[in-house]
Amino acid sequence: MKSFLTVAQKPLPFKALLIMKFTLLLLIAGLHVSAGGFGQEKLRLNFRKAEIASVLQAIEKQSNFRFLYNNQLNSIRQKVSLDLKDASIRQALDQLFSGTLLTYQFMDNKLIVVKEDHLKPPARDITGKVTDDSGAPLSGVSVNVKGSNRGTATNEKGQFTISADDADVLSFSYVGYEPQEVTVGNKTTVNIALVSVAKSLENIVVIGYGQVRKRDLTGSVLSVKSDDIRKTPAVNALESLQGKLAGADIMRTSGSASSGVSITIRGNRSLRADNGPLIIVDGVQYNSIQDISANDIQSLEVLKDASSTAIYGSRGANGVVIVTTKRGSSGKPRINASSYYGISEVAGYPRMMNASEYMNWRREANRKIAIAGINPNGNWSSNANDNLLFNNIEQTNINNGVDVDYSDLFLRQGNQQEHHVGVSAGNDQTKGYLSLGYYGENGILKLDELKRYTARLGLDQQIGKFAKAGMQFQFTYYDIDQRTNPMDEASKISPFSLPRDSAGNVNLSPNNEAARWNPLIDEQPGIAENNTITQRTFAVAYVEVNPLKGLSLRSNLGMTFANATVGQFFDRNSLLQRGTNALGSYSSGKGRNINWENIITYNKQVNQHNLTLTGVTTFLQNNYEEATAQGNRQILPSQLYYGLTNALDGISIRTGYTKENLVSFAGRANYSFAGKYLASFSIRTDGSSKLGEGNKWSVFPAAALAWRISDEDFLKTSNSISDLKLRVSYGITGSDAITPYRTQSTLTRIPNAFGENPAPGFTFSDTIGNASLQWEKTRAFNAGVDIGLWNNRVTATVDFYRTRTTDLLIDRLLPPTSGVSRTFQNVGATLNTGLDIGVNVAVIRKTDVNFNVGATFYTNKEKITELLNGVDDVANEWFIGHPVRVSYDYRKIGIWQLADSTEAKANKQLPGDIRVFDRDGSKSITTNDREVVGQLVPKWNASLNLDFRYRQWDLNVFLFARYGQTIEYAYNQRTHMPGRENGAVQNYWTLENPSNDFPKPRTSSSFAALLYSSTLQYVDGSFLKIRTITLGYTLPKSFTSRFGVSGLRLYATGRNLFTFSKVDDYDVERGGSLINPMTKLVVWGVSINL
Amino acid sequence: MILFAAVLTGAASCKKQLTEYNPAGVTADVVFNTPAGYEAGVSAAYSYNRWLWGKEAGYHLLEAGSDLWMSGVDDPNTELTQYTSGMNGSNAVIAAIWSRLYSAVNLCNALIPRAAKSGLPPATQAIREGELRMLRAWYYFTIVQTWGGVHFTLDETTGIISTANKTPEEKFYAQIIDDLRHAVAVLPNTTPDNGRATKPAAEAFLSKVFLIRGEYDSCYKYADKVINGYDFKLQTNYADIWNMSNQTGKEIIWAVNYTTNLTMNDFTGPAGAIVYPGGHPRGANNGHLMFLQKYDVRTGMERSIAYGRPFSRWMPSLYLLDLFDESIDSRYDATFQGLWIANKAGNSTYKRNLTTGVEATFTISFGDTAHFLSKHEMDSAWRNTRKYETFERRDMYNANGTPKNNANFLSLKKFLDPTRPSVAEQQSARDAFIFRLSDIMLTAAEAKHRLNDNGAAAELINKVRRRAALPGHVADMEIEASDVNIDFILDERARELAGEQWRWIDLKRTGKLEERVKAYNPQAKGNIAPYHKVRPIPQIQLDAVTNKEEFKQNEGYL
Repeated sequence: MKSFLTVAQKPLPFKALLIMKFTLLLLIAGLHVSAGGFGQEKLRLNFRKAEIASVLQAIEKQSNFRFLYNNQLNSIRQKVSLDLKDASIRQALDQLFSGTLLTYQFMDNKLIVVKEDHLKPPARDITGKVTDDSGAPLSGVSVNVKGSNRGTATNEKGQFTISADDADVLSFSYVGYEPQEVTVGNKTTVNIALVSVAKSLENIVVIGYGQVRKRDLTGSVLSVKSDDIRKTPAVNALESLQGKLAGADIMRTSGSASSGVSITIRGNRSLRADNGPLIIVDGVQYNSIQDISANDIQSLEVLKDASSTAIYGSRGANGVVIVTTKRGSSGKPRINASSYYGISEVAGYPRMMNASEYMNWRREANRKIAIAGINPNGNWSSNANDNLLFNNIEQTNINNGVDVDYSDLFLRQGNQQEHHVGVSAGNDQTKGYLSLGYYGENGILKLDELKRYTARLGLDQQIGKFAKAGMQFQFTYYDIDQRTNPMDEASKISPFSLPRDSAGNVNLSPNNEAARWNPLIDEQPGIAENNTITQRTFAVAYVEVNPLKGLSLRSNLGMTFANATVGQFFDRNSLLQRGTNALGSYSSGKGRNINWENIITYNKQVNQHNLTLTGVTTFLQNNYEEATAQGNRQILPSQLYYGLTNALDGISIRTGYTKENLVSFAGRANYSFAGKYLASFSIRTDGSSKLGEGNKWSVFPAAALAWRISDEDFLKTSNSISDLKLRVSYGITGSDAITPYRTQSTLTRIPNAFGENPAPGFTFSDTIGNASLQWEKTRAFNAGVDIGLWNNRVTATVDFYRTRTTDLLIDRLLPPTSGVSRTFQNVGATLNTGLDIGVNVAVIRKTDVNFNVGATFYTNKEKITELLNGVDDVANEWFIGHPVRVSYDYRKIGIWQLADSTEAKANKQLPGDIRVFDRDGSKSITTNDREVVGQLVPKWNASLNLDFRYRQWDLNVFLFARYGQTIEYAYNQRTHMPGRENGAVQNYWTLENPSNDFPKPRTSSSFAALLYSSTLQYVDGSFLKIRTITLGYTLPKSFTSRFGVSGLRLYATGRNLFTFSKVDDYDVERGGSLINPMTKLVVWGVSINL
Repeated sequence: MILFAAVLTGAASCKKQLTEYNPAGVTADVVFNTPAGYEAGVSAAYSYNRWLWGKEAGYHLLEAGSDLWMSGVDDPNTELTQYTSGMNGSNAVIAAIWSRLYSAVNLCNALIPRAAKSGLPPATQAIREGELRMLRAWYYFTIVQTWGGVHFTLDETTGIISTANKTPEEKFYAQIIDDLRHAVAVLPNTTPDNGRATKPAAEAFLSKVFLIRGEYDSCYKYADKVINGYDFKLQTNYADIWNMSNQTGKEIIWAVNYTTNLTMNDFTGPAGAIVYPGGHPRGANNGHLMFLQKYDVRTGMERSIAYGRPFSRWMPSLYLLDLFDESIDSRYDATFQGLWIANKAGNSTYKRNLTTGVEATFTISFGDTAHFLSKHEMDSAWRNTRKYETFERRDMYNANGTPKNNANFLSLKKFLDPTRPSVAEQQSARDAFIFRLSDIMLTAAEAKHRLNDNGAAAELINKVRRRAALPGHVADMEIEASDVNIDFILDERARELAGEQWRWIDLKRTGKLEERVKAYNPQAKGNIAPYHKVRPIPQIQLDAVTNKEEFKQNEGYL
């Protein structure tokens, strides 16, 4: 390589340098130079029998390209004729060099190297058309013969012509679309549809420490993209996904503005330790997923089987949720803005007794009934005895017809709103994403409010050729107001009491009942305040180096700094303090989470073999510090919790500290042959500071195999089966999900004094330490199949799993005779078997009309298989063969009737009392008659998602069902048997109404309960609900583009509007509690893309 | 390179990183081996008494369910007062006390062998160990009285123990007596620290234990030491015992100390507060709340600090009221309140039907008599002339003695605390007296009676009765040796000690629990059975033990 000359007319100042550089480039084998962006030049060439060299000179004049070639080549002197208009450089060169030995190669600085290739095979012309997935032609698509310099671009009709031979592979690339390759074979025409990047992202699945194409997936992973997450407006992205992920049981914990969302993946394995999944945001553990606006989420993956989660080792046993947030992209800035506003109200709240019902209830409790010893000492026989039951105030109110529904005084309309704007911009070197968001919710109770402000910034910077670095930064600010729950008090207070006096002031204690306090009092200004300000900063920084092809070294540092201050003030007359002392308290907590990971990845493709090796080191530290101060009887209540020094007594402080560390090393190998046979092996070792000495480390291996049958020759030509893959996996994961210091027996402080001299005491805490705590281990087998039929018009994923968990970490109750009441211990085993099915059917797939039906079905059978000493643990309510969370009690079979009074008496009961089942047939009711009366987890979940689009209109209906779980319904327990408090409206037993539903009230029963009254609370909590209905309208692009808007959609969503269950006036999703009942919501929103 | 370095440094620091760092927590081995820490441990051992003494659970277990009390309108645990079917292993009151008492025993068991390592001066060491022995005996005494021969151990729990034993009552008492003899030998005669155990306290306790064991000579010996060996004297007036300024009076031998500075009490703090998560939900002495009638809803009345906050848990049985001859015995008026003066500003009017059938309207002004209750029957003509509200015997009780009106009754006022800072304040600084001199005198009298020396018994009883006499009625109060029998002694104890948390144990000791409840407590008489002389073992205990065949429920409880 010595005699290169340039014929360029422009002087080339750095000739020597250029030659050196070129030489160097040639030395690096296989280097590809991107041709992207070269299609824009519009050349006009009209030559008749001109030398190729002179044509090249003409091109240099018309453009910025320069050519580098050996002047002495014969080929360069060949004469050609051509006539081109608006041609790209590639089109021009392809035509110019066709039929010659010349080839070209694009270099940096718009330099094109031209040389002779004597091996250039005889080629023929291949023609074709490139379209997008909707069939529209794409112009300017680069078409190259792989491994050669030959290339061209499509014209405005999407057509191209290129010379190639049978063995050549054509590659098609275009900005914004996924590249594709086609082997020429004996074809002369190649028509191809490119898939846009946005669409194809749907085929990329993020897995632990990497990502794979969906087709290469070996594990059981669910993937949801941003559009699906945004469909159901909610403050927490997980809530939006309720019912949509087969295998994940997602529930909102209450109807309060600041309520959380619980997620359980494939059942409860642990008996007491946390069963929530690990949440990874942008590669870093971040459990506060509620901070992240659904608008900022690019995709969300749920890893379900052990082979997918084992790479997370100790943290993966309960499944892993991987959240990938939006990042910047190159090109012109893209702005997305969205807003919604909605109104909420209670989704059902059962009423308490009204005045006459409550009067009768109370009379019945006191009624003198001499028959069968029912209540011979009762002091009410007729209305004449009312003065013994009702005091003067009550009698006056009764005479005045006072009848107040207290719960009605509280429940109001609430509202929710979210406003969010995101901007993404950048160039090839630097990409950024910035978003700002506000979410506000006013609950259905006054003083129940939440405001969330978020700011998010993501940056990715290319550093030279081999490195890039970037960060994700999020700041979240919460302002939350909570109130002392008034509903409990409202359900007890007498309906014939006056909430306000004649002047409109709140009566502190209506009816002057010492035990009852007016729950309205907290709504008076300055009486009760409970405010939480939380600020969380989440920063992830990474550096990635790619020194060699296929090798990547990445270091990730994630940090979360959380700061929460809780200020509380309760006046002496507040619902909480009930006339004692005012209480102010101020607490401040500081959390720090550090997650440092180093990941090495090496990918090598040899022929059909593809191998990816991954190595990971992890260091994880959680650290929390807090300080709380409080005081009673502030001199100036108006100082709330800020003037604690001015509290007259009860000034006290507390500080706390916890820290936990986790150190891990992991490795994984992913292998695929011809994309058909896939295998994955991983191993991880974890060390946890929370476990006992000598038990801190454990090893977690996993393996998975998959076979893409649809790629086999015998199915390749099938018209019906477009996709078929079988997967099996097995792996071990672990859990150390207990709070720190459980290996230590600590002391607690208790105040004491001798005389008036303080003598604070230290005694053992109720929980005793267990120095031999070790890892809880889960062995999971998963078998799955992915099917696509009729060009993926129907797709389905079915997974079967069997998960066995041993050495369960249990917070176990101990006999109190040991002086302590609980400990953490590794005990027993559980088995979860289940089936997850997801089906999607594109019923109509046309340009104007689209109808898509999606359904999921998920069933999990959870049972305990082993316990300590092989026997049921009654104290902890764990029973071999039953699920982890069950109700264990007597079974109510009715009410003792008069005819049964002898039998009742043998059980120390009376007619009108609850009759329970004599399970062991001993003729008397003993504790042996208790049994498992219901499971608190559903037997199955199912959902149906209907998506309908007609031109600009879209309609989505989402139904969700849970079946087979028992709830402990607080309403049925809201019954004061001695008749001193108001409560539920029930069909109770009286002499005249020998009901079998509810027992007779009686003054001689305990306030807490009549014997067996807990049996009244178990009700079937199965439900079907229309979770969301959304109607949207997207303005025509032709209209919006006039205002520079590329998309504008208006929508209305109704959430939780209809629920069908066996319980009236109550949304059973709440799980039985009457506190903060669930809400229904109607939302109007707009989203704009610029 | 970075990665390599990371792996190396990571591996090197692994061991260090995995060692737990817990600066906010404290462990027994660190704390109890220091002088201050050991003192704090001893102090905590005392604090467990605050779960029973002056607390609702304590009144339920030690006072109600006797011949003296019936359920008031707001008795939340009627099963404990009336022995109804809710008296079973699931009872939350019994379960809570069971756990606390065994926690207390475990703390004593942990501290006693550590005394030598405490670093305290040897003299203090011996005293503290004596106190702990006294406390262990005291907690085991409460356990064995309440449940009979249940779990017993002298070892600290250091690991997971999931079994329990059933130990005969004899072994409990042998250990109690052994611990108390040790305590008597080392404890000082007095202490500047009100609430700490002293030698006379241990002796008083021993006399009670020997009385239960039927060792009457020993009982008398120790009771006599307490009565004559120290400076204890009866208060001149019975009513003065209950004056808030006489809490450390010369009559008090041992008490559970509560303080006016409420932060030193055991209140767990309101919901969400941080003070003492292991504390009690009400804190300090709650006796003032328990026995009051609902005076505050009567005409002319409102709730006040002086009249107290009426929780209306228990009303006296007619038997208890009739035990007193208030014409000669000052203790009736010192024990019960039947008169309320209008404390509501201005005039209040109310209507009532006179016995003539005429509806009359009355006005009660601030300072007028508002409300008068009497255990006697009232003349209706006289009542018709009263402008205030009156409740007589027949208004409050049915003919068979069961409550007719359980909201309005004669109220035990011994524990009222007018020094509380607010009407609603549940915490009273009143000490809960465990041993009072007159109690020990009656204990000595009972021993003498059992030893067939009724003369000496009568003299001891007369000491107590003379002090109780109204002026000019000392002679009327005196009794003869021939008057002395066990029922008389129990009656006298009721008059002297009503409400003071000894009644249930007194009835049990004398074998009269079932007999007297049947005779004098018409509300509970249909329910009580012989097996009620011990309480049910909590179901949480039975469910949690792994040796279920050995550790079973007390007989009679299902």
